[in-house]
Amino acid sequence: MYEELRAIQRQYGYLPADQLRALSSKINVHLSQIHAVASFYPHFHLTPPPKVDMRVCSDMSCHLCGADEVKAALENQFRGASEKDVTIREVSCLGRCDQGPAVMLNDTIYAQIGPQDAIGMAREALAGRPLPHPKHKHGRTPATCDPYNGTGQYEVVKRFVEKRDWQEIIATLKTAKLRGMGGAGFPTGLKWELVHNAPAPKYIVCNADESEPGTIKDRHIMENVPYLVLEGMIVAGLVTGAHKGFLYIRHEYENAKEILQEELDRAYKMGVLGPRVMGSDLSFDLEIFVSPGGYICGEESALIEAIEGHRAEPRNKPPFPGQVGGGLWGRPTVVNNVESFSLATVILSRGLEWYQAQGKNGSVGVKFVGLSGDVNRPGIFEVPMGITYSELIYEYAGGIPGGKKLLGYAPSGPSSGYLPASKADLPLDWDRLAAEGSMVGSGAIVICAEGRCMLDMALNSTRFYRNESCGKCVPCRMGSQKMVDMLKGWTEGRSSKNDMQVLKELSTAMGLASICGLGQIVPAPIQSILKHFPEVVDDHLVRRHCPGGVCFTQAGMQ
Amino acid sequence: MSPDASAAKPTPQGQVSLTIDGKPVIVPQGTTIFDAARLNGIPIPTLCHQQNENPVGVCRVCVVDVGGRVYAASCIRQVDPNMVVKTNTQPLEDVRKTLLELLMADHPSPCTRQKHSGDCELERLAADAHIDHIPFAKRTTPRGHDDSSLSIAVDHEACILCDRCIRGCDYIRNNWVLARRGKGYQAGISFDLNDPMGDSSCVSCGECMVSCPTGALTNKAIVGQKLEGEAVNTDFLLELPVFKNVSGNFLSLNRHAIVERRFKAGDIICREGEFGYSAFYILEGTVDIYLSTPMAHVKTQDASEGWMQKLRSFLTPRSNQPGHEHHGRTSIPIDANVDLPLDKPIAQLGAGELFGEMTCMSYYPRSATVRAKTDCVMLEMLRNVLDIMQRNKSFREQLERTYKQRALDSHLKSVPVLASLTPEFIAHLKERVELIRYLPGQIICQQGDPADGFYLVRLGFVKVSQHHPGGEVVLAYLAKGSYFGEMAFLLNSPRMATCTALDHVEVVRIPGDDFRLMLEQFPDIRQKLEAVAHEHIESNRQRMALVESVPVEQFLNQGLMEAQSLLVLDLDRCTRCDQCVRACADAHDGVTRLVRDGLRFDKYLVATSCRSCRDPLCMVGCPVGSIRRRNSLEIVIEDWCIGCGQCANNCPYGNINMHPFPVQIEDSEHPGRMIATTKPKATGCDLCTDHAEPSCVYACPHDAAHRVNPPIFFAELLKQGTPATQGAPVEGRD
Repeated sequence: MYEELRAIQRQYGYLPADQLRALSSKINVHLSQIHAVASFYPHFHLTPPPKVDMRVCSDMSCHLCGADEVKAALENQFRGASEKDVTIREVSCLGRCDQGPAVMLNDTIYAQIGPQDAIGMAREALAGRPLPHPKHKHGRTPATCDPYNGTGQYEVVKRFVEKRDWQEIIATLKTAKLRGMGGAGFPTGLKWELVHNAPAPKYIVCNADESEPGTIKDRHIMENVPYLVLEGMIVAGLVTGAHKGFLYIRHEYENAKEILQEELDRAYKMGVLGPRVMGSDLSFDLEIFVSPGGYICGEESALIEAIEGHRAEPRNKPPFPGQVGGGLWGRPTVVNNVESFSLATVILSRGLEWYQAQGKNGSVGVKFVGLSGDVNRPGIFEVPMGITYSELIYEYAGGIPGGKKLLGYAPSGPSSGYLPASKADLPLDWDRLAAEGSMVGSGAIVICAEGRCMLDMALNSTRFYRNESCGKCVPCRMGSQKMVDMLKGWTEGRSSKNDMQVLKELSTAMGLASICGLGQIVPAPIQSILKHFPEVVDDHLVRRHCPGGVCFTQAGMQ
Repeated sequence: MSPDASAAKPTPQGQVSLTIDGKPVIVPQGTTIFDAARLNGIPIPTLCHQQNENPVGVCRVCVVDVGGRVYAASCIRQVDPNMVVKTNTQPLEDVRKTLLELLMADHPSPCTRQKHSGDCELERLAADAHIDHIPFAKRTTPRGHDDSSLSIAVDHEACILCDRCIRGCDYIRNNWVLARRGKGYQAGISFDLNDPMGDSSCVSCGECMVSCPTGALTNKAIVGQKLEGEAVNTDFLLELPVFKNVSGNFLSLNRHAIVERRFKAGDIICREGEFGYSAFYILEGTVDIYLSTPMAHVKTQDASEGWMQKLRSFLTPRSNQPGHEHHGRTSIPIDANVDLPLDKPIAQLGAGELFGEMTCMSYYPRSATVRAKTDCVMLEMLRNVLDIMQRNKSFREQLERTYKQRALDSHLKSVPVLASLTPEFIAHLKERVELIRYLPGQIICQQGDPADGFYLVRLGFVKVSQHHPGGEVVLAYLAKGSYFGEMAFLLNSPRMATCTALDHVEVVRIPGDDFRLMLEQFPDIRQKLEAVAHEHIESNRQRMALVESVPVEQFLNQGLMEAQSLLVLDLDRCTRCDQCVRACADAHDGVTRLVRDGLRFDKYLVATSCRSCRDPLCMVGCPVGSIRRRNSLEIVIEDWCIGCGQCANNCPYGNINMHPFPVQIEDSEHPGRMIATTKPKATGCDLCTDHAEPSCVYACPHDAAHRVNPPIFFAELLKQGTPATQGAPVEGRD
């Protein structure tokens, strides 16, 4: 259905009602169902878009890079403009966290846009002049862990076709303790084994929908070592007995999609995909599925719903995707993150010994992490597990601009909550972070320097969840909004003496009763601030003072 | 620990043993925790779950502790062997309370349901949890109300998105009108494309309303539409095949919307031209359905007698008038499954038949008079009940069967171009045609699509339009007795226009292959169709040529382009003496059909008289199809006008008048006796076709009145650059 909707949108610029009616009879899907889907995904416009549809990314990294100034400058410039001409809105993380602030102008993404750039581009668009093509990096950054030195050889697929030893592969992954790299950290070997033991038909899904603020490492992997992802998926398919795979990529990653498509075509030509993998009796097909958009699609059961053409609303679990009834079209399905599939290829190709030799301070393995926010060299780095966060900040990312001191950091975007500077020497280690009530997660490390307001950062993170909540269940839909209301009040000088108690109850209810991880994790940012930065909250609530000078700007005017 | 009781005795095959609140229970495999608890007398509160729907687990009020990382929604989580379930711990009660507080924060308490019946499920649970203070901020953006449905009121403010209505509509009733819309805190329920409920394909089955736990969907009292007659027992209705599978719950809620009526032989059931809002289903007996209006046309006395004397309008059958083209019709389409022969407009309907569908669904005037031929028993119903009936499969089957047996033959023959079809071929078609229903706004076929069928309109009005770069252009409105979809076959091309249902439409579809076969076997039909088709194409071509060649923006804005013929008054010359108006009144029995007022274009006043519009809205809704356009594009009102006034209401320019005239009709109180009365008939500007020049133009002493062809007249003006309209660029100014 998405392709049909996209075709209509390409032709008309939006989805006119009569076209949707015609589509309804053409594809035999009820009108209400088409609308339910089209109104869910931000990618689709149900009304004619304005000449300038400017959306400014407002989440974590871009927020730290001055997105608010960009938005304010635009609003100032186009104050009084008709809504048919110009609309300026916020948009959730566009996946350009290393190049903030990012904007989306008439559905095209531009990175590193300052206030004047944004105004200039909006003026061009308003005048009907063509917009520049967004710049993409050319050439590839080699990965140290890449066993193929830049060109995919698909050696693991070849070896499996010859030996057919699925036990060995699963055992290797289990011994390597490879975990899900999307954030949840479920053991990959165990996941593959469960699906191997489940009845056919089965599916492989690669979750390349990374949409959490700060998370950009999958984009890096897909753009630089795409063959590692594809090979991981093919091996998973052959090992579990699945014959079809989908690589679910967020629609903001056009460049990565093109690179993957090229590699996919090459893999078909090489014969590692198709009805006879490497000339054997094994078959596996793979296609790239472009997401219609939204952070929630990264939740594995929501992602499955999206592929099935529904609203991306997470399912009640169990059954889990690996079980009958829980996966794609109800079939057992392996859903792994881009990095998990890639590292599986690395481990199976270079061997267990090599992998176990990687890592520092008693941790094992390698990881791709993204560093953004207040650092001199934001970017994606391939690092050994066990490395400390301060090493990452000061050695890899070049330290903090202006020689400022570290105030705090999020090890994995909003989901991990924030840790204070005093905990910067923690190692990149699943168990150590978990012991701190945080997580390694997807390695979306966002740095806040002194002068930032951590309460403002918590509000920013909570707003992200509120904006991205699918709305299916009450605690998340209502709770995220009410939490934003409360925190916004705190930053504007409105609070009541019961707030702490109410926030505690709300956090508990959301954490325990929400259907999926998104709703359960909404309280994490503010709870981490209450735990690690209590003085900041006190400053706001008791002294009505923002140490960062960020809050009370509106209250001050009143 | 000693083994518990359930472990001591083996669990039977297919059963699962578990503990709920310390109580060992055994339930069949696959049972949900909610049901396992319920069956064992442990109630768990819920909002989104009800027994007749599949669980979705969205309200989370029913969460229980099964020892996991997070709580489980008991309505959807199945029991596992040896599960230990807690339903009423303090932390659980706290979580439930918070969830209720969140919902109550935005709830318009007391909601409509709480006010009316005191049983809003949310408010009851909140009261049970002793919630008297809401610690959360209230919603600041309104979510709105929708009062467009006849029978159901929608208050989005009270919606808690439990999805009960959606599941009721989609899975229980299989109507698929309701769904969620939007995302997150902005999510809500919506009908079709987020249409107002009353404009959507909703059939008012009421399932959503009976499913709703709050006051978001409530039953509207039926206002202003009262049916006389005896209330019908719901059980009796459910036994009728036409109501098989209908929701008894909703029928009984709408018991005032369907009544039993008994008529004695000779009783009049409804009269042509009256406004109404109900349909009749015959249970017993036979009725006559006929037109009592004389087959005649309003005619003003001829000018040869001199038009300064007092004139009178009288009625004359159009067929008696010279110079009128033959309309080719042999029957009059009416709002029932039969057509009335033009020479003797009467037919019979019997048990199991329905009439008044269009009146009931779209509020058109009654198309014919119905009189009981024998003693009759009928069900009279309002739109919501008719909706239910029409959606019912067994009723649809019955309708289709009777239509094919009784009406298809006459329906096909009522279309002049198809008159030569043989009985053999019609018999063949009976097996092939299908009746298809369309809702207001639904597209029947789309411009550019391949042709797959030929359509006859059985019910309602179809808009034929073409998409052009400048927008949509309406080509025609088709009523019962019209056909469409033939062009693509004749020209071997894709569909040339889009056909859209204007109201509740039902069409008879002849599949493409059969239509091609018909064209092969009946070359004369092909010829006739082709002749009409070419005429259409030519007139469309001319129209488009004009649209494209004339700078017509302003002109279009005023609707002038729609007109075929206009009366314009040159305001530079006009002295406002009103001679034109008087002349018109004199020529038309003292009633003017011209008002010297209207739109202004440059120095011209476009006076109010028939414009023979290109988009003739007056033709929409004529219950007997008597207003139509001749090939010369002039709008004519045929003899069988029943005087309902629909066209006069529809004309956006007020150019159709209802003209009363005396007639003798049968006295319904005393059968056999005639009484004198007046009957209205519709009249419009007739362009004084019997005179050399329209009276108004002739009478103007200042040469200010002109009858003009607007595209040509205004195009000339525009080309000369004469209209010095505001804002228009003026070149070469000195």
